[in-house]
Amino acid sequence: MRLDAKIPGGPLPQKWDRHRFELKLVNPANKRKFDILVVGTGLAGASASASLGELGYNVKTFCIHDSPRRAHSIAAQGGINAAKNYPNDGDSIWRLFYDTVKGGDFRAREANVYRLAQISNAIIDHCVAQGVPFAREYGGLLANRSFGGAQLSRTFYARGQTGQQLLLGAYGALMRQVAAGRVRLFPRREILDIVVVRGKARGVVARNLLNGEIECHEGHAVVLATGGYGNAYYLSTNAKASNVTAAFRAYKRGAFFANPCFTQIHPTCIPVHGTYQSKLTLMSESLRNDGRVWVPKTPGDKRPPHQIPEAERDYFLERKYPSFGNLVPRDVASRNVKEQCDQGKGVGPTGLAVYLDFADAIRRDGRAVIERKYGNLFQMYEKITGEDPYETPMMIYPAVHYTMGGLWVDYNLMSTLEGLFVLGEANFSDHGANRLGASALMQGLADGYFIIPYTLGGYLAGTPLEPVSASDPAFAATAREAEERIHRLLAVNGRRTVDDLHRELGMVLWNHCGMSRNNEGLRKARARVQELREEFWRSVRVPGSGRDLNQSLEKAGRVADFMEFAELMILDALARQESCGGHFNEAYQTEDNEARRDDERFCHVAAWEFAGGDREPVRHEEPLAFEHVPLTQRSYK
Amino acid sequence: MSQRIRLTLKIWRQKGPADPGHFETFAAEDISTDMSFLEMLDVVNEKLTLEGREPVAFDHDCREGICGSCGAVVNGRPHGHLRGTTLCQLHMRHFRDGDTIVIEPFRARAFPVIKDLVVDRSALDRLIQSGGFVSVNTGSAPEANTLPVPPDRAERAMDAAACIGCGACVAACPNASAMLFTSAKVSHLALLPQGRPEAARRVLSMVRAMDACGFGNCSNHRECEMTCPKEISIVHIARLNREALKAGFLSPER
Amino acid sequence: MSWLFSLLGSSVGKKWMMAVTGFAFLGFLAAHFAGNLTVFGGRDAFNGYAERLQSLGPILHLFRAGLIACALVHITTGITLFFQNRGARPIGYQVSTSAGGRTLGSRTMPYSGLLILAFVVFHLFHFTFVDKTSITIFERVVAAFRQPALAALYSAMMIVVAFHVRHGFWSAFQTLGLHHPKYMPWIFALSLAAAFGTAIGFGALPILVAARM
Ligand SMILES: Cc1cc2nc3c(=O)[nH]c(=O)nc-3n(C[C@H](O)[C@H](O)[C@H](O)COP(=O)(O)OP(=O)(O)OC[C@H]3O[C@@H](n4cnc5c(N)ncnc54)[C@H](O)[C@@H]3O)c2cc1C
Ligand code: HEM
Ligand code: HEM
Ligand code: SF4
Ligand code: F3S
Ligand code: FES
Repeated sequence: MRLDAKIPGGPLPQKWDRHRFELKLVNPANKRKFDILVVGTGLAGASASASLGELGYNVKTFCIHDSPRRAHSIAAQGGINAAKNYPNDGDSIWRLFYDTVKGGDFRAREANVYRLAQISNAIIDHCVAQGVPFAREYGGLLANRSFGGAQLSRTFYARGQTGQQLLLGAYGALMRQVAAGRVRLFPRREILDIVVVRGKARGVVARNLLNGEIECHEGHAVVLATGGYGNAYYLSTNAKASNVTAAFRAYKRGAFFANPCFTQIHPTCIPVHGTYQSKLTLMSESLRNDGRVWVPKTPGDKRPPHQIPEAERDYFLERKYPSFGNLVPRDVASRNVKEQCDQGKGVGPTGLAVYLDFADAIRRDGRAVIERKYGNLFQMYEKITGEDPYETPMMIYPAVHYTMGGLWVDYNLMSTLEGLFVLGEANFSDHGANRLGASALMQGLADGYFIIPYTLGGYLAGTPLEPVSASDPAFAATAREAEERIHRLLAVNGRRTVDDLHRELGMVLWNHCGMSRNNEGLRKARARVQELREEFWRSVRVPGSGRDLNQSLEKAGRVADFMEFAELMILDALARQESCGGHFNEAYQTEDNEARRDDERFCHVAAWEFAGGDREPVRHEEPLAFEHVPLTQRSYK
Repeated sequence: MSQRIRLTLKIWRQKGPADPGHFETFAAEDISTDMSFLEMLDVVNEKLTLEGREPVAFDHDCREGICGSCGAVVNGRPHGHLRGTTLCQLHMRHFRDGDTIVIEPFRARAFPVIKDLVVDRSALDRLIQSGGFVSVNTGSAPEANTLPVPPDRAERAMDAAACIGCGACVAACPNASAMLFTSAKVSHLALLPQGRPEAARRVLSMVRAMDACGFGNCSNHRECEMTCPKEISIVHIARLNREALKAGFLSPER
Repeated sequence: MSWLFSLLGSSVGKKWMMAVTGFAFLGFLAAHFAGNLTVFGGRDAFNGYAERLQSLGPILHLFRAGLIACALVHITTGITLFFQNRGARPIGYQVSTSAGGRTLGSRTMPYSGLLILAFVVFHLFHFTFVDKTSITIFERVVAAFRQPALAALYSAMMIVVAFHVRHGFWSAFQTLGLHHPKYMPWIFALSLAAAFGTAIGFGALPILVAARM
C-alpha cells in the first residue's frame, strides 16, 4: 500500500486555500443528518466538537473525565505560538513555518507545517474573542514572549496557565453547543474500540465508567483527539489518565501508526524523589529565559550549591552552544543534561539533576521582576520540593513530556482507516522528530477549529455513506471483544498490582527507548517487554468488579495496551537507523555528540500497519520532500 | 529533609450512590514526607489491592493542581489545611508522625457521592452551559488587537479565570453555595470587553441555573475564598451581585 | 411583574432583600439610639421627644408601616434562606472546622435574628403597647431598668444585636455589590464600629439609666 498524503498542488502558500476551494461542501440543511463522534475534549477535541456543532452537525463527544474541562491540555503552561509579528522583530508565517520544520529535524511535511503557521494567527483572534485573558502590555495590546528556543517573541501566554485558559475557552464553546443541543456530551466514558463497518469507521464502543455498561454509538465519522502516549513510560508529565488505548485500538482496526519512537523528553522537570512517585511535574521552560543551567566541574562534588565557587561551575549549555546558550531546543538540552549526569556531575540526593540558577537574574533584574515573571512556578516548585528557589538554585531533570508520533493522517487529518480522523497530539502531527515549545497548543487548536470543519465536510460530501445502526453485527462483535478483555483482566487475579507492572515497563522504556538509544539496548528491551506482557497477563491483580466505578480496572486496560504498544515504539526505534530530534541512536552521532540524521535513507515518515495477531507489523514509508527549507544539519552553536 | 511517618486514616467508604456508607480505619505506614497526599493514598491502595480488598476510589488526573479533579475533605478542610493548595499538591511534610487523618468526600446536595471519595460535580458543567462563555462562532473573530484591554483588567479577569472547577468552594461553604465558582466565571467575562455584550443575559441565566442545581445561597461566610486552591476572592461574588442588579433592574433581559 | 418576583426570588434576589431591609433596620437603630439618648436630658426631654414623635401623625404611621413591611420581608426571607441553606447539605461532615472565613456573627445570623425578633416583641409589649396615660414613658423606662434582671436582659440582648450587626453591616455591602479592594477595609472597620457602638451605646443605656435616674 502506498501512503498518499493527499497534499494539494500549487505553490506552498496557496495549497490550503486551493484545497479548501476544492473540497466539496455539505448542504447546510443536510449537516444535521450527519452524526459525528468526537473522542476527547482536550484542545483538539473540544475545539472540534464546538466548531462542528456550530456548523450544524450532530455531534456526540466523549471523554474519560467527569468534565470535559479536565482534559490533559489544561496543564500546558508556557504558551501558544503565532506569527503575528506584534513585537516587530522579524516574524512571519514563513519564518514560523521554517523554524517548525527545522526544529522538527526535517521529519514533518512542509505543506502541513505551512498550513499550521498560516492558521496560527486566526487561533489567537478566535481565543481573544472567546475571552481568553492573555497577558497584555500597558497600552492594552497583547504581549509576547520568547519561548522554547525561539530567537524572537511569538508566544502568547496567560500567566503560567495558557493551556488552562485556551482549554476553558474551547470548553466554553463546547458547553455552548451542548446547551444549544448540537453536541451531546458523554463524560466518564472510555472508548475501548472503533467499530469498522465495510471498511469505514462508523462507530465506537464505550465503557460507561460509572456502571461498567458497554455502549455502542454509531456515526458517519469518528474523530479521535485522545492525546499522547507519554504515559507508556509510567513517569511522565502527562496527566494520569492519558493513554494510548483508543489510538492503539484504531491501529489494530487498520489505522497506521506513524513514528511511535518519536518522544519528547523535556529538560526542565522536577527530579524524581522516590519509587512511590506517581508523576513528574514540568517546570515551564520559560524558566530557561532567565535561569542558568550548571553542574559542578568535578564529578562527585557533593558540596551545597552556594559553596561551589563560580570558577568550579560548568555552565555547560552556555559553553557548548554560545549563540543559543540555555535556550537550545528541548532534545538538545535534555541530552546534555543526561550526559552531565552520566559523567557523575549530577547533583541532589540521587545525582540525577542539574541546577537551574536564578541568582544572576535576581541580581540583575531584582527579585520583584523575577517574581512577577515566574512567581507561580517558583511557588509550585517550593510546594513540591520544600525548597525556596529564590534562595537555593532549582534542581531539574528531563522527563517524558510529549509524543510526536501518533496515528498517521493525510493532509485532511484522515487516517488510513477511512472515516477515522485524528487530531491533536494523537496524530503524528506537524512536529516531525521534535516539537518546539508552544506549538502543540497551536496544532491542537488549528486541527480542531480550522481544519477538521473543512476536511470532514469534504469527506462527508464526497463519500457514499450507507446508513448503519448500532444493531449491525459489527457493533455486537466489537462490543463482545471489549467485554471479553474486561473479563480476562478481572479473571487473572494474580499477585502484582497494575502500577507495579506499569512502573517496570516504564523503566524498560526509559532506560532503553528514552533520551539516548542503542541497538543492543533496544533489542534487549524488546525481549523484556514481551516477557513483561506475559507476566502482566499472568500476574496482574484487578480487584472489584466490572459493574461499577473501578479505577483499577480502568488502569489495567490502559496498561495492557501500553504493554503491547511499547513494543511498537521499540520496533520503530530499531528500524530508524539514524539520529533525529527526540530519537537519538548512539551509533549515529557527530564527533561532538550531536545527532546525525541520515537523509539518504530515513527522510521519511515510518507508518506501521497492524498485521494481525502476533505477526510482525508492517513498516510503510511516506517519503518527505523538502523544497522550501533546505535539508541542513541543525546547529545551535 | 525527607522522613518516614506513620498515620491513621479514617476514610469514608461508600459502595455506590445508594449505599449509606461508613468510615473505615486504615494504618498508613512508612509514608515519606516527600509524598503528595494522593501518593500516600496510592500506597494505601496498593496494599489494599494486594490484600484482596477494594482500593479507595478518588478522582485525580493532573496531580499538579490544575485539572480540578482531585479533592476530598481532610480533617474538615476541602483540599486539606494548606492555603492555596489542591489535595494533589499537599505534601505529607505538612503532617506529623502519628497523626490521625479523617478523609471525607465533598458534601453537598448538588454533589451526590458516586463511590468512596468520588462525587458527581456535573452541576458545575451545567452552570457553565447556562452561559459561562462568549457566544462567538469559529471564524467570526476580529483581529486580536482590535480591542485593547487595560492590563490590570486583564489581570483581574485572569484572577477569576484561574478557577479550576474543583468545587472545593461548594464543599467548604456552610451553605453549600456555588457563588464563588459562578462569580469567578461571571466576573472573568464581565471584566473583558469581549464578554460585555451578553453580560446581562449571562449573569441572570447563571444565577437561575445555580438555584436549579440545588446549591445553597451565599451568606458571605468567606469560607470559600479561604479554601479555594486558586485563592479566588469574594470580590468576584460582589461583582456578580452588581452585575445581577444591573442586569435585573436596568437591562431588558429577564 | 413576574420578572420582578423571579428576580427577587432568586438566591441573589433574596439576599438583596435581606440587605436592603437590614440597612433600613440599621437606619432605624441609629435613629432610635439618638432618640434614646434624650433620656439623659431628664424626664421632660425624653417625654418631649416621645410626644414630638407622636405628633408626626401620619408620617409616623408611614414609618411604622415601612418598618413592619421590612420586618416581614427580612424575617420570612431570613427563615427561607435558613432552611434552603440547611437543605443544600443533607449529610454533614464528620469533622467540621473553619478555614478562618466564618465568624461568630456570620455563623449565628439566623439565631441572633430570631432572638432579636423575640426581643422586639417583648420590647413592644413592654414600652409601646402600654397604657401611657397614668405614667409617662420616662417613668416606665426608668422603673423597668431599676429592676436588675430587666436591665441585664436588655444589655445582654444588645450584645446579640451587636453580633448580628457585626456581620450584617459589611455583608449587606457585599450583597449589594459594594466591594472594592480600596474601600472594603473601611467597611470592615465601620462594621466593627457599628457593632461596638450597638453593644456599648445601647448596652450601657439600661445600666446608666438604672444608676443615674
Ligand atoms: C505539563 C505540560 C505542559 C505543556 N505545555 C505546553 C505549552 O506550553 N505549549 C504547548 O504548545 N504545548 C504544551 N504541552 C503539550 C500540550 O499540552 C498537549 O500536547 C496538548 O494539550 C494535547 O491536546 P489534545 O487535545 O491532543 O489531547 P489531551 O488534552 O490529552 O486530551 C485528550 C482527551 O481525550 C480523552 N481520552 C483519551 N483517551 C480516551 C478514551 N480511550 N476514551 C475516551 N476519551 C479519551 C481524554 O479524556 C481527554 O479529554 C504541554 C504538555 C504538558 C504535559
Ligand atoms: C435590628 C434588627 C435587625 C437588623 C439591624 C438586621 C440587619 C441585618 C443585616 C444588615 C443583614 C445582612 C444582609 C446581607 O447579608 O445582605 C441581616 C441578615 C440576616 N438577618 Fe437580620 N437584622 C435584624 C433583625 C433580624 C431578625 C428579627 C431576623 C429574624 C429572623 C433576622 C434574620 C437575619 C438572617 C437569617 C440574616 C442572614 C441572611 C443570610 O445572609 O443568609 N434579622 N440582618
Ligand atoms: C437599651 C435599649 C433600648 C431602649 C432603652 C429602648 C427604648 C424604647 C422605648 C422607650 C420605646 C417606646 C417609644 C414610645 O412608644 O414612645 C421603644 C420603641 C421601640 N423600640 Fe426600643 N429600645 C431599645 C432597644 C431597641 C432595639 C435594639 C430595637 C430593635 C431591634 C428596638 C426596637 C423598638 C421598636 C420597633 C419600637 C417601636 C417603635 C414605634 O413605636 O414605632 N428597641 N424603644
Ligand atoms: S472557585 Fe476555587 S474552590 Fe471553587 S471551583 Fe474554582 S478553584 Fe475550586
Ligand atoms: S463560603 Fe459560602 S456563604 Fe458565600 S462567601 Fe463563600 S459562598
Ligand atoms: S489532580 Fe488535578 S488538580 Fe489535583
